[in-house]
Amino acid sequence: MNRFFGNKKAIALFILPAMVLFTALVFYPVLQVLFRSFYDWDGLGKGIFIGVDNYIKIFDDTIFKTAVKNGLIFAAIITVYQIGIGSILAFAVSNVRIKGRNFFRIVYFLPVVLSVTVVCQLWLNVFNTEFGLLNKLMEVVGIDFRQSWLDDRYKAIYVLAFVNAWHYVGYQFALLLAGIKSIPSTYYEAAKIDGASSFLAHIKITIPMLSETYKFCLVMSITGGLNAFTQMYIMTGGGPGTSTYTLTFLMYRSAFQTYQYGYGMTAATILVIECLVATILINKLIARKHITY
Amino acid sequence: MKKKYSLSNILYKVFLWSYGLFSLYPLIWMLFYSFKNNDEIFISNPFGPPLIFHIENYVNAWTVYNVPRYFFNSLVVSVFTVIMTISVALIFSYATARMRWKFSGVARIYVSIGMFIPVQAILIPLAIIVRDLNLNNEYLSLILPYTAFNLAFSSMVFYGFLRSLPVELEEAACIDGASIYRTFFSIIIPTVKPAIATMIIFTFLQAWNEFPIALVLMTKENMKTLPLGLLFFQGRFTTDWGAMGATMVMASLPTVLLYTIFSNQVEKAMTISGAVKG
Repeated sequence: MNRFFGNKKAIALFILPAMVLFTALVFYPVLQVLFRSFYDWDGLGKGIFIGVDNYIKIFDDTIFKTAVKNGLIFAAIITVYQIGIGSILAFAVSNVRIKGRNFFRIVYFLPVVLSVTVVCQLWLNVFNTEFGLLNKLMEVVGIDFRQSWLDDRYKAIYVLAFVNAWHYVGYQFALLLAGIKSIPSTYYEAAKIDGASSFLAHIKITIPMLSETYKFCLVMSITGGLNAFTQMYIMTGGGPGTSTYTLTFLMYRSAFQTYQYGYGMTAATILVIECLVATILINKLIARKHITY
Repeated sequence: MKKKYSLSNILYKVFLWSYGLFSLYPLIWMLFYSFKNNDEIFISNPFGPPLIFHIENYVNAWTVYNVPRYFFNSLVVSVFTVIMTISVALIFSYATARMRWKFSGVARIYVSIGMFIPVQAILIPLAIIVRDLNLNNEYLSLILPYTAFNLAFSSMVFYGFLRSLPVELEEAACIDGASIYRTFFSIIIPTVKPAIATMIIFTFLQAWNEFPIALVLMTKENMKTLPLGLLFFQGRFTTDWGAMGATMVMASLPTVLLYTIFSNQVEKAMTISGAVKG
């Protein structure tokens, strides 16, 4: 048996493809990002080592400040929207008295399977100033609120965050719903006998019992917000002006449009650190509770 | 007490319906206008179902624009990503979960680091590697990074699954004189089929909808995947909303169908990450 499980040739054969692929296309690139963030490099040749100059430069860059701020705004909005609305929807769909639960489940999850391009372009059409669904609706209802939703430098980032939140709320909803189903119904029966409303029961039972699920949802939405890129790329191009830049967008522009690869990698390094810090903080703040049932 | 129940029940219902409408109507609106001409979309009938079905929007999108090509590219990339990811992850997690060797724990943790690295952060080095390998605008230039990125997660899922199997499974085969390869292919793979099915759906959805990597690596018009190809409608054809809608509907069809047919499986696949990471 030991010879069977300790077959060195088989082990090497089995792990090699994964190790090579992962090392070459994920691990090595991350090291490259860290390493090159200390270089002045145009993507060709050797580049010049410039120490922390890129970091000094980036912390003076007003676009960088906007980008960090936008990442935080984006993360905050999608967290509140997705976890808040996702929770309420999951509570409601888990309620056996509600009819058509399967239908609702599918409807809420449906946007998740769409491509981000489709969702962004759909909402571009909804927000279109002249012909968009939203302004047309306002017209019909008779509210004079018609405006160009994405051309306002203060509003645009919120609109983009909303589109992301709308797209993926079903994902958090499904995660939470799966979590709720795993909680034994005896808990809710006990709460019912004690006279608690179903909403109160969720506050007192579901949320504490699902602390692990919530932790995961938080990590997903916060790192997702910090990484935001596609909505900006498709819907505003970082504009108006530079008002909807995020770190990823800054990185993309530096590398692929102005060929400052070193500077782009600095932005990428800060992004990785941001995400790591966020993940560690969330794990620290929501302490792991071992719940047995 | 009875009353309290029904009140929360009503509130729930109102919320469920209004959010359902909010979630679904934009999609229905898109489906509607994909059959309309501009007059109906912009002036006479912006909200309701089309009065006259303009099928030519679909014909235009399919024949005039490059949609079949994008479709084909997406299909090739997604299918091969699925095959590569599942096979590489499966053998890797078999070696780390069942076989006995010194560094199996280290190898497993090493690959699982991948779950904490945002794809966006390594776009630049990835582009440079692909350029240096002369893989620009090749299918492989997407398939390999997609596989590498999905490895961490799928290995973890398979690892969990394989760990839960009893050792007797292999013992019996070993006593019968089967080699490790034979055992792996004829005993282990059939046993982990449910996990494989779940991961196929998950990986397919990821690959079909992936955007940032494709944006950076696929620059040639003919090699673009659907999410990328659809972008060109934004600039040049903004006035032809009907054809644009038709393209968007066609691009969404495979994943929407996959979801409506296998909705439970898809949700399980998408939420399995919660169970693994949390």
